Amino acid sequence: MKASNLGYRLGGVLIISVILALLSDAFLSASNLLNVLRQASLIFLLASGVTLVILAAGLDLSIGANVALSACLAATVIKLTGSIALGIVTGLSCGVVIGLVNGVLVTALRLPPFIATYGMLWVLHGITYWYMAGDTIYDFPPTFRALGSGYALGVPVPVYLMLGCLVAGGLFTRYTTYGHQIYAIGANTEVARLSGIPVRSRLNLVYTLSGAMAGLASVVYLARLNSAEADIGEPLMLPAIAAVLIGGTSLFGGIGSLSGTLVGALFLTLVLNGMNLLTIGANWQPLVTGVIVVAAAWVDIVARRRGEG
Amino acid sequence: MMRSIRTRLWAAGLICVSGTACSRGGGGQAADQVALFTKNQTNPYFQSIRLGAESAASQMKAGIVHYVPTKPDSIPEQMSQIEDAIIKQPKAIVFIPVDFKAMVPGVQKLNAASIPVVNLTDRSAGGQFVSFVGCDDERLGLSAGRYLLKHLNGKGNVIIIEGVGGSANSAARVRGFNQAISEFPGVKLVASQPGNFQRLQALQVTENLLQAHAQIDGVLAANDAMALGAIEALDGANRKAAVIGINGTKEAVDAIKAGKLLATVDCNGFEQGCIGVMTAIRHLRKLPVPTEFAFPQPVIDRSNYGDLDMPDAQRSCPMWEELVKG
Repeated sequence: MKASNLGYRLGGVLIISVILALLSDAFLSASNLLNVLRQASLIFLLASGVTLVILAAGLDLSIGANVALSACLAATVIKLTGSIALGIVTGLSCGVVIGLVNGVLVTALRLPPFIATYGMLWVLHGITYWYMAGDTIYDFPPTFRALGSGYALGVPVPVYLMLGCLVAGGLFTRYTTYGHQIYAIGANTEVARLSGIPVRSRLNLVYTLSGAMAGLASVVYLARLNSAEADIGEPLMLPAIAAVLIGGTSLFGGIGSLSGTLVGALFLTLVLNGMNLLTIGANWQPLVTGVIVVAAAWVDIVARRRGEG
Repeated sequence: MMRSIRTRLWAAGLICVSGTACSRGGGGQAADQVALFTKNQTNPYFQSIRLGAESAASQMKAGIVHYVPTKPDSIPEQMSQIEDAIIKQPKAIVFIPVDFKAMVPGVQKLNAASIPVVNLTDRSAGGQFVSFVGCDDERLGLSAGRYLLKHLNGKGNVIIIEGVGGSANSAARVRGFNQAISEFPGVKLVASQPGNFQRLQALQVTENLLQAHAQIDGVLAANDAMALGAIEALDGANRKAAVIGINGTKEAVDAIKAGKLLATVDCNGFEQGCIGVMTAIRHLRKLPVPTEFAFPQPVIDRSNYGDLDMPDAQRSCPMWEELVKG
């Protein structure tokens, strides 16, 4: 992604920030900005994995359901064994396995990514609902919860995770052969195949990474909310995918970046933060959210056309 | 606390995960067969209702069939489950509409098929019912509000975490909160924002409101899950406020015991399940039933959580006479 495009998007975030700073005294405080970063981190962790999938012209609709099952299993393991490490490993492995199966469905069975991961979404919902039977698992050790709600040097722990994933993911996509191959597959799968890129194995990799990020997000979710229920994933899926697209990654693959996704996640978080700070009424909030998202996308398109023309 | 894996799996077996129904209860096909319609498999509240219903059915030697939409709160799915029930002809139906308005035509179909229906939990906007068994949401909000504001000695800043915008339950509970606030002139409502009945949203909304308001003394949440989300936000920000929820879930009771949650207002699912099914069976056996069942809806705090401090799977329904008197 060209730096200038990212500039336009960051511009959208800055415009909203300036408006909020003018309207609310509380907005520009350091603690609120850290608060926004922490809230954005959960969505970014999920969205970063999907970014890789979408860059390769795929799609992963199962991330929310993945978070729910991974969180419930991690919660069970922590409760049964008392081991935080085992719980984290469980959450991550569950995420990875689901991602790997998604990859196999797409590459070996040659299912369209939408169908494969949509089917996976329902399978995971089914397993989680059955397993939890309407139950809630809650109350975890403080050392584990610090992963979601703790601070290090005044900065929330999930923010470090977010920045870590951003840097690692940025280096991976920009400077490794794997990263370049993922872009190439997204730009034109046939050409990529003919030029000798192992398309199937790279696709397996991106789905697995997406699953792994959902597993990580599930651990952070669990640590932050101190509880796991079967239905926690559904409200996460669309915002995460929206963050990827608002961040400028093309749904058709080949174009986009993780830093764009960070901007998208910040954007969505700022909208909720702003509505709360300005206490916009409950019945208006969906309308306001929708209008801002559409307006931002439109401004972005206009700005890019100017830039190109 | 968490049950063992084995109990968990056993409990999971109680619900039919497929779109069609499965039958349970001692009576089997020969006895009075009651069909129970609940909204989803995800909310612990409906699981409590199902367990209460099971207990009532076994107490009264009747059978029970569950209808639960695979997709939570799905209107078309509940509609087709009604059609399925009309073909299978249970003796009576205990019905929680997934949507109080949209399911009215479904209720009318049941009326046309002459199957007696008891309306449970959410009051349907139309159709004919033997009886309504459920909580009064506005009164829940009112008692929660009054309890919290009395605890604050009638002064301070409070916030409301609403449920889903546009939902009848949320709107009524929030009306109750606001009425309570209007009774205490020393209390200031600094914000009323939607948490969609979800823990994560309530957590983030509370975090945002803590940024905007330096002093928040009380949080009125329209359900327990959101109250607990608000508590996580307060903990994370190292701030203190009295928090009250609604529903009387086991998790809320544990939080009350731990001194984190001030109180919850009991609108207990388990007893609703008991009374709903008992009403249906009594109607079939030509025993008297009230057309409207008013729950006492007590506020549960440190002094009286005892009754609720037990997993629903281990509870059993009180006798009818005890419930009706209470």
